[in-house]
Amino acid sequence: MEIALENIWHSYDGSTYVLKNINLIFKEPGIYILIGPNGSGKTTLLKILSLIIKPSKGNVLVDGKDFWSTSDEEKSLIRRNIVFVHDKPTLLRGSARYNIELGLKLREVKKEDDVIEFASRYGLEEALDKPVHKLSSGQAKTVSILRALLLKPKILALDEPFTFLDNTRVKLLIEDILDMVRNGSIIVIATHYMYKDLEVISNKIVEIVNGEISISSSK
Amino acid sequence: METIVSIMSRSLYVSSIAALIAFAIAIAISLTLSRLARRKAEMVLSIFEVFVGVPTTVIGVLLYMVFYPRGPLGILGILYTPYAIIIGEFLVALPIAVTHMFRHVYELKDFVRELVLSLGGSENQAIGILIKELIPIMISSYFLAFSRAIGELGVALIVGGGIEGYTNVLTTAIALQTSLGNYEQAIQLGGILIAITTTIAITLKILGEYIIWRLR
Repeated sequence: MEIALENIWHSYDGSTYVLKNINLIFKEPGIYILIGPNGSGKTTLLKILSLIIKPSKGNVLVDGKDFWSTSDEEKSLIRRNIVFVHDKPTLLRGSARYNIELGLKLREVKKEDDVIEFASRYGLEEALDKPVHKLSSGQAKTVSILRALLLKPKILALDEPFTFLDNTRVKLLIEDILDMVRNGSIIVIATHYMYKDLEVISNKIVEIVNGEISISSSK
Repeated sequence: METIVSIMSRSLYVSSIAALIAFAIAIAISLTLSRLARRKAEMVLSIFEVFVGVPTTVIGVLLYMVFYPRGPLGILGILYTPYAIIIGEFLVALPIAVTHMFRHVYELKDFVRELVLSLGGSENQAIGILIKELIPIMISSYFLAFSRAIGELGVALIVGGGIEGYTNVLTTAIALQTSLGNYEQAIQLGGILIAITTTIAITLKILGEYIIWRLR
C-alpha cells in the first residue's frame, strides 16, 4: 500500500495554515519519523495521512487514487488498512478489554487469544477487566497502543507513542513495530524528541517546523 | 374530592409527554448545533441558557395570551386542558434539556468520530458508537426535563387552572391545599412528588447501565 501526500496545505480556521506545501510518499515498509517542536503540525499531518482529516488543499493519493474523491464504501475499505494512535489515550467508557477489542469489533473479528497474549506481554493481563478510569496513564496509553497493534494494519501512525510508557514497554513496542515492518507494514511515528533507539531503526526522518518540511533524510 | 392516585397519574402523564417531546427536540437541536462552528453553536446555545432562567409564570402568561379564546390560537380551545399544560411544561423543559445535552454531544461527536476512523471504522460505525456513548447523557437529559416539568407550578396553574378531576396536577394540588391550610395533605403530596422523581431517577439510572451493558 502506498500513500502520497501532494501539495498538502491545511488550516483549521481558514486563515492560518498549520501545514504548508507538504509533499511526502510512504511506499516502502519501514519506520518513518516525523520530528518537530510542539505545534509544528506533526499531529495534523498524521491525521491527514491516516485519512481522518481532509486537507484544505492538495491531494491524498492511496495507491494512485485520490482518496477523498472515492465513494463512502471505498473510503471505509481503504481506512481499514490504516490505524492512528493519538498522543493522549483515547478510551471509551468501559473496561480495558472493551477498548482493546474495539478495533476488532469494528471489523467483526474475534481474537481472544491475541488479546490475552498482547495484554500479558505488556503487563496488562490483570488490568484487562478494570474500568478505564481506574487505569494509570501508562496503562491507558498501553491500551490505546495494543488496540492498534492487534489490528496489524498496513500503515500504523503513532503520535508521541512513548509518552507515559516505562522503559520496558517502550522496548516491547519497538520490538513489535520492527516485527510489523518485517511483515510489510509502514510505521509513521511523530515525536518531538529523537530517542536513540528510534534513530537507529528509522528508515526516513522528516523534520517539520512551522508546518513546513525543513529536512528530509533517508537511510 | 379527587384522589391522590388520580392527581399523580395525571401529573405523570402530562409531565412524561412534555419531557419526551422536549427530549426528542433537544436531541435534534444538539445534533444540528454540533455541525456548526463552535462559536456559532455557543451563540445559539446561549439563547437556550437565557431561557432556562426565564420565570415560568412569564411563560404561563404568554401561553395564556396565545391560547385565550380571542388569542391567536384560541380556536384550538386548549386553554385549561391537560394539553395546554403539556405545551407549557415542554417549553419549560426544553432549554434545560438542550443546554445539558449539547455540550456533551459536541465534545463526544468529534472525539468518537476521530477514534473510530483512526481504527479503520466507517462514519456509520462512528454514529453507532456515539449513540452508545450518549446513552447516559440522554438519560440524564430526559430526567432533567422530566423533573423540571413535574415540579413546575407557574405554567400548570396559569394555563391549566388546577381544575379538580381535569387539570389538577401534583404542584397545583400542593399549592391549593397549602392555601386552604391543609398542610398535612400538602406535605403528603410533596412527599409523593419527591418519591416520584427519586424513583424515576433510580429507574433511569439502572435502565441506562443495563442498556450500556447489553450493547457492549
